[in-house]
Amino acid sequence: MVASSAGRFSEAGLAQLTEIVSHYPDAGGAILPALWLAQREYGGWLPAEAVAEVAARLGRPASEVQGVASFYTMYNMQQRGRHHIEVCTCLTCGCLGAYEVIDRLEQLLGIHLGQTTPDGEFSLTEAECLNYCEAATVVQVGERYFGGVNAGNVADLIDRLRGSDDCTPVSLSNAIVEAIVPGRAGATHG
Amino acid sequence: MNDTKLVNVTINGVALQVPKGERIIESARRAGIDIPYFCYHPRLSMENGANCRMCLVEMAMPRTGPDGMVTLAKHPKPQTACSLPADEGMVVETETEATVKARKGVLEFLLINHPLDCPVCDRGGECPLQNNTLHYGAGASRYIEAKRRYPKAYPLSEHVVLDRERCIQCARCTRFTQDISGDAQLDFLKRGADTQIGTFNAEAFSSLFSGNTIEICPVGALTSRHYRFQARPWDLATQKSICTECSNGCSIKLDHRDGQVLRVNGRVNEAVNEEWTCDRGKFGLPVAISGERLTAPLLRDGDRFREVSWDVALGTVAEKLQRAGKQAAVLAGSKLANEDLYALQALFRGGLGSTRSGYRLGGQSSEARDVAAGLFGLNPMPTGIAGLEASPWTLVVGSDLAVEQPIVFLRLRKSWRFGKSKALEIIPASAPGKTHVGAFAASSVRYAEGGLAEALRRTCAALLAANPGLTASQEVLAWAGSAVQNDGGAARRMAEVLATGPGAMVVGERALAGPDWREALAALGHLAALTGSSGSVNRLVSGCNDRGADALGFVGGELGVAGMLAGAASGSVPALWIAGADPVTQYHDPQSVIASLERAPFLVVSDIKLTATARMADVVLPSCSVAERDGTFTNVEGRVQRFRQAFEPRGSASPDWLIAARLLQRLGKPSVWFGWQDLLAEMRAHVPAFGEVGFDALDKDGAMLVATQVVD
Amino acid sequence: MAELQVLLQHRNVPGIDGIDVYESHGGYAGLRAALGKERQAVIDEVKASGLRGRGGAGFPTWIKWNGLPKSGPAQHYLLCNADEGEPGTFKDRELLLKLPHMVVEGMAIAAYATRSANGFVYVRGEFVESATQLRRAIDQAHRRGYLGRNILGHSDFCFDLHIHTGAGSYECGEETALMSSLMGERGQPRLKPPHGPLPVVSGVWGSPTLINNVETYACVPHILTHGGAWYAAMGTQRSPGTKIFSVSGHVARPGNYEIELGTPLTELIDLAGGVVGGALKAVIPGGSSVPILPAEKCAGVTLDYEGCQAAGTMLGSGGFMVFNDKTDIVALMRRTAQFYAHESCGKCTPCREGTRWMSRVLDRITAGAGRMEDIDLLLSICDQIDGRSYCPLGDAASWPIRAGIRNFRHEFEHWVRHGSSPIPGFVPPVRSHGPSPVPGRQE
Ligand SMILES: Cc1cc2nc3c(=O)[nH]c(=O)nc-3n(C[C@H](O)[C@H](O)[C@H](O)COP(=O)(O)O)c2cc1C
Ligand code: SF4
Ligand code: FES
Repeated sequence: MVASSAGRFSEAGLAQLTEIVSHYPDAGGAILPALWLAQREYGGWLPAEAVAEVAARLGRPASEVQGVASFYTMYNMQQRGRHHIEVCTCLTCGCLGAYEVIDRLEQLLGIHLGQTTPDGEFSLTEAECLNYCEAATVVQVGERYFGGVNAGNVADLIDRLRGSDDCTPVSLSNAIVEAIVPGRAGATHG
Repeated sequence: MNDTKLVNVTINGVALQVPKGERIIESARRAGIDIPYFCYHPRLSMENGANCRMCLVEMAMPRTGPDGMVTLAKHPKPQTACSLPADEGMVVETETEATVKARKGVLEFLLINHPLDCPVCDRGGECPLQNNTLHYGAGASRYIEAKRRYPKAYPLSEHVVLDRERCIQCARCTRFTQDISGDAQLDFLKRGADTQIGTFNAEAFSSLFSGNTIEICPVGALTSRHYRFQARPWDLATQKSICTECSNGCSIKLDHRDGQVLRVNGRVNEAVNEEWTCDRGKFGLPVAISGERLTAPLLRDGDRFREVSWDVALGTVAEKLQRAGKQAAVLAGSKLANEDLYALQALFRGGLGSTRSGYRLGGQSSEARDVAAGLFGLNPMPTGIAGLEASPWTLVVGSDLAVEQPIVFLRLRKSWRFGKSKALEIIPASAPGKTHVGAFAASSVRYAEGGLAEALRRTCAALLAANPGLTASQEVLAWAGSAVQNDGGAARRMAEVLATGPGAMVVGERALAGPDWREALAALGHLAALTGSSGSVNRLVSGCNDRGADALGFVGGELGVAGMLAGAASGSVPALWIAGADPVTQYHDPQSVIASLERAPFLVVSDIKLTATARMADVVLPSCSVAERDGTFTNVEGRVQRFRQAFEPRGSASPDWLIAARLLQRLGKPSVWFGWQDLLAEMRAHVPAFGEVGFDALDKDGAMLVATQVVD
Repeated sequence: MAELQVLLQHRNVPGIDGIDVYESHGGYAGLRAALGKERQAVIDEVKASGLRGRGGAGFPTWIKWNGLPKSGPAQHYLLCNADEGEPGTFKDRELLLKLPHMVVEGMAIAAYATRSANGFVYVRGEFVESATQLRRAIDQAHRRGYLGRNILGHSDFCFDLHIHTGAGSYECGEETALMSSLMGERGQPRLKPPHGPLPVVSGVWGSPTLINNVETYACVPHILTHGGAWYAAMGTQRSPGTKIFSVSGHVARPGNYEIELGTPLTELIDLAGGVVGGALKAVIPGGSSVPILPAEKCAGVTLDYEGCQAAGTMLGSGGFMVFNDKTDIVALMRRTAQFYAHESCGKCTPCREGTRWMSRVLDRITAGAGRMEDIDLLLSICDQIDGRSYCPLGDAASWPIRAGIRNFRHEFEHWVRHGSSPIPGFVPPVRSHGPSPVPGRQE
C-alpha cells in the first residue's frame, strides 16, 4: 500500500503513514492525513515533490493529490513564516475588535495581510470563523488558539512567539494566559 | 436480453415509456425535447457532473397519502435533468417560466466572469456557451465588478492551450482524463471562484488522447495550438473520413478549407472509436497530408526531375511494365485504399501476368501469420474492438496497447471501468515503467527480450496449479512444468483470473516478430487452449489497411518484400512500382534499400509527396491523399469503412486505382471502373473476403470482411 | 423553561474528560443499557425520544438509523460530523474537548444499533486540541472494552473508531462533501436523492453510511440511560429535549448554554448576562446561515425548530450571535458574503459565481460606491442561487443576505446615499475580499 519509492518521508513518518492507511479501505482515502504528514515531513509546507511523494506512496495520480491539497486552506502550497498567525475576522470576532488586532499586527510586524516577514518568522492572514467565538477575538498560530486577543495585548503574543524556538510556544505571558479561553491554557499536545 | 424495466414518465405533457433510471435529459431528447446543458456528457461519469446547473427542470412525483389518495408532489427545488433518473410516474416540465428563469440565472452567472472575447475565440460559431446565450442571455450585463483574470493562452502541451478565463468549470476535460483515457492528467486546483483546471505542477499535458478534451470543452478554454486562429468554423467545410494513422480506422471528420485539412475531429462510431480520437490521428493526419505535395508526374532527367504530362509518364511506365511482363513487381504501402490494391492486382495479375505483389507488415513474417491462422483461425481479430467490452478478461501480450492501438486500449479500459472485464498483460521489460494497461491491470508480467514463450509457459504452469481440474495432454503438462514462485505473485494473480473461464487475448504486432516467434506462438496456443480462448486470440496489425492488403493477396506474394528489393538489385525485377510506400525512410535497413533501389533497372513511385524513395525513381506519379478522393479501408477488425473526398486533388494528382486503370487501358485491357463503387462491386464479386461488404453498411458502422483463405 | 444541563451537566467536573471520572458520573451506562436490548429496541428508544439532528437540519435521528440495511453484509460506516465550521457555533468543539467519552459512547450505541463495524470522527482540522482529547478517549475506551472486538463481551458487536482530520473547508461539514473528504477527495458534495442513493443506502466507499452531528451522538447515552420518554418530556412536543446554544457577540458572558428547547429567545440572552455595549439590535440565532432577526422581532420567539421558523429564521446549529446597536449590518452582511464566497467549493455555477458576485457588490457598497439598484441586484442574485445550487451551501449563502436586506434595508440605503455607515464613527475594514489568501495560495 505505502509504496517505497524514493522520497523525504522519515522512517517514523513512513510508519505512521502505514498505520493511517490501514484505517481506510483503500489507500486513496488516506490522502488527507498523508498530506498532513507530508506537510510536517517537508517542514511546514507542500512543495511539488511532497505532493508527488504522497501520490506515489498512495498510488494516486499526482494531479489528483495536488487538486486535493490545493482545495483545503490548511495545506500550505508555499513556504510561509515559522509562525503562521491567523486572525479570525468572521462575524463575532469581526464585531469585537479583530480588525484592530490586524492593524496592530501589521504595524508590529511591518507586513500586510498575506505576507511573511523578511526574517521568515511570521506570516499574517485573516481566517474564517475559528469557532471559538466565545473568546473573540481569536487568533490561531499553528496548532494553537489564543482567545481574548485585542489590540492592547497582541504585542505580548508576538514577543512570546518571537522568542520561542519552535512553532508551538510552551508558555505565554500572563496577560495572554489570562485572556485565553478557560481550560485552554497548559493543555498538552500529542 | 434487456431486463431494464420500463417506466412511465411525462415530459411537457408527452407520455413516454423509458428505461428506469435513464437520465431525463436523454428521455427528453428522444422525445424531441432539447434541454440546454454544458457539463453533461453521456460518456462521462455523473459523479463530478451535474455542476453547471443549466439543465434545471421542474419535477413532480406521485405520492400516496395516508388516505390512499395519490397526488403529485412537486419537488420544491428545480432538478438537474442530466442527473435525474427516470422513475415511475415522474412528471417533468422543461419550459415553464420558472425553469427558463433558472436557466437565465445560471447563464448570467456563467457570463459574469467570462471574457466575452468571442471575436478572437476559436470556439466562436460552434460554442455551446455562445449558442445558449442566444436563447437565455440577457441583453446587457448587470455585472460591473472586476472580472477574474488569468494569463491568456497558457500552453498545456505542444497540442493544447488553456484559457482559464473562458473555463466554466464543467469538469468535462478532467472527467475525460479520469474516466476515459485514465491518465488523470487534468484536475481541478483550488476552489470556489478560484477553481481552475491544471496538470500536476504545470507539467505538460502529455496524454495520448489530449485532443479529445478540445472537442468536448463546451467553451473555448481548451483549444488546439495547431488550429488556433486558423479559421472560423463557418468558413470550414467538413467531410466524413477515416483516420489513416493506425489500423483502428477511427471515424473522423475532416474540417477543411482551400484544399487544406485544418483539423480532425472524432465522429461517432459505436463499433470502433465511439467518438474519440487519439492524438496521433488528430494531430498527425493533417501534418501527414499537408506540406509540399506532388502535383504533376515527374520524369528522371539525369540527376533531376522534369515535369511531364500524364501521357508521357504513363507511356514510359506502360512500356517498361509491358516489357517486364510477369517479372514486374509492385510494392504497396499501408495507406492505399482497398480499391487501389484491387486495381493494382488487376493490373499486375490480369494485365501483366505477374504475381509479384508485396506489402510490408510490421515485422511479422507471413509464415508466422500462417501458423497463427492455423492455431487461432483465419480472422486475426475475431473478438473485434467493441467485442472486447464483453470479454470477462483480456490478456494483452507483448504490446504497450495504448501506444500501439489507442482505441482498442480505450475499449479495454472502458470495460474495466464498468467492471465488465479484467485486464492482464504480459509485456516486454523494455516497455515504459507503467504501461497504460498496467495502471489498472489485475496482473502485469514482464519478460526480457526473447522471453515471451517462457513467460507464457510460466503462466500456463501457474494456471494448471491454480486449477488442477483443467484437462491437458501429457505433452502440455510436461512442457508447462511447475509454477515458479519468485515473480512476486504476478503469474499466480494472472492465473486466478485466467482460471475463471474463457476470455480474450490481444497480441501485439511485435510480439511475434522476433526470432522466437515459433515457440511464442506455440506457447500462446497452449495458453489459449487451456483457457478455452482459442477462438478469441486477436493478432494486431498496425497499418491503416493491413487487413485489406492481406485480403487482397498482397501479403506473402511470390517474392516477398525482401525478394522484391533483391530482385530489383539483381535485375530479376526489371520494373518495380512502389505505391504509397517509402521504404528508404521506413524500413529498418535504409542503406540496403537504397543500395537495391540504386541498381533497379526501372523504378516508378506513386505517392503524395516527393519521398526519399520517390527521389530515386525513374518516374514519379502524384497520387491523392485520403482527403482528396473516395474509397474504403479495412481496419484491424476486418471492418471495411468508407472515406469521402473532401476537396480536389492537388494539380493533376490521381488516386492509385485510377493510375492502374489508365495503365490497363494502355496495355489494351480497359477496365470498366468509373469510380470507387465499381471497384468495390468487383471486389464483392471476385474477392471472397469482400463477398458480404454491402454499400449500405459502409456508411453506418462499416461492413465486415468474411474470413476466408486468400485465393490467388 | 430555562437552562437545563443534560449534556453539559458535568462539564466542569475535574477529570471528566478521562474515563474514570466519566464512568463515575454515569458514563457508559447508556452503552450497557443498549447492549441489553435488541438492536431495533435501541432505535425505538431513540424514536421515542424524538431526538432531531443537531447539525443544523433537525432531521429525526431515528429515521436515519432505521434506514440502514438490517440484514445482509454489515459493511456499514458510522460517521460523526465534528467539522463544526458554521460561524458562531462552538458547541461540538467544547463537547469533544471536555466530554469526549460522551461522544464515543453515543457512537458506540449507534454502531450497535446500526450494525456498523467502522466509524470515523471527522474533526475540523483546526481543532487539534479537541482531536487530541478524542484520541485519548478512544484509546481509553478501547482498553476498557467499550470499543474494539466483542464490545462488553457481546459476541456480535465489534466497532473500531478512527479520527479523520479535515484541512480547512467549511463545505466539508455538508454531509456528502464530508464523505468525499473522508475518501480523500476534494471536499465537494455528491449526488443525493432523487439523483443518487441516500448515504444510508450507499455512502462512503459504496457502503451504507450513517452520519450525525457530535451533539446528536452526545444525546444518545442519556436517552439510553434514562429512556426515550424521559428525553421527550423535555422541550416542546415537536422539538423535544435540550439543545446547546453557542452564545457570542455583544453579551456579558459568552459561552455554551444548554437549554430546554422552547425557551424564549430573550431568556437565553439574559442567561448570557444580557447585551453589553448598547441596546440589542439583532440576533442571528442559529449560525451565520440563518436569517438575522431584528431586535423588534425577538420578543416572543421561542428557541425550538418551529418557533424559529415561525419567526422567519431557523434554529440551525445553535450558533447564537447577539449584536448591539453599534453594529453595522451592511458590514456584517459583507463579511457573511465573504465567508460563503471563500468557502464555496466551486463545483456548481450558482454558488461559485453568485457568492463571489455578492461579496464584490457588498465590498463596493461599503467602499462608498454603492448604487441604489445594487440592493435589488443583491436580492436578485440571492434568488438565482437559492434552490439551484448543488448542495445547500448556496441556499445558506443567500438566506442571510436576503434577510439582512429585508430587515435592514434602510441601512443599505444609507450606505448608498451617503457612502458611509449609518453607525456614527463606524469605518469598515478596508480589506477588500475577506480572508486574504494564505501566501501559498496566491497565483
Ligand atoms: C454547507 C453546510 C455545512 C454544514 N456544516 C455542518 C457542520 O459543520 N457540522 C454538522 O454537524 N453538520 C453540518 N451540516 C449539516 C450536515 O450536512 C448534516 O445535516 C448533519 O451532519 C447531519 O447530522 P444530524 O442529523 O445529526 O444533524 C452542514 C450542512 C451544510 C449544507
Ligand atoms: S476547460 Fe473546458 S472542459 Fe475543462 S472544465 Fe473548463 S470549460 Fe470544462
Ligand atoms: S448539464 Fe445538468 S448540470 Fe450541467
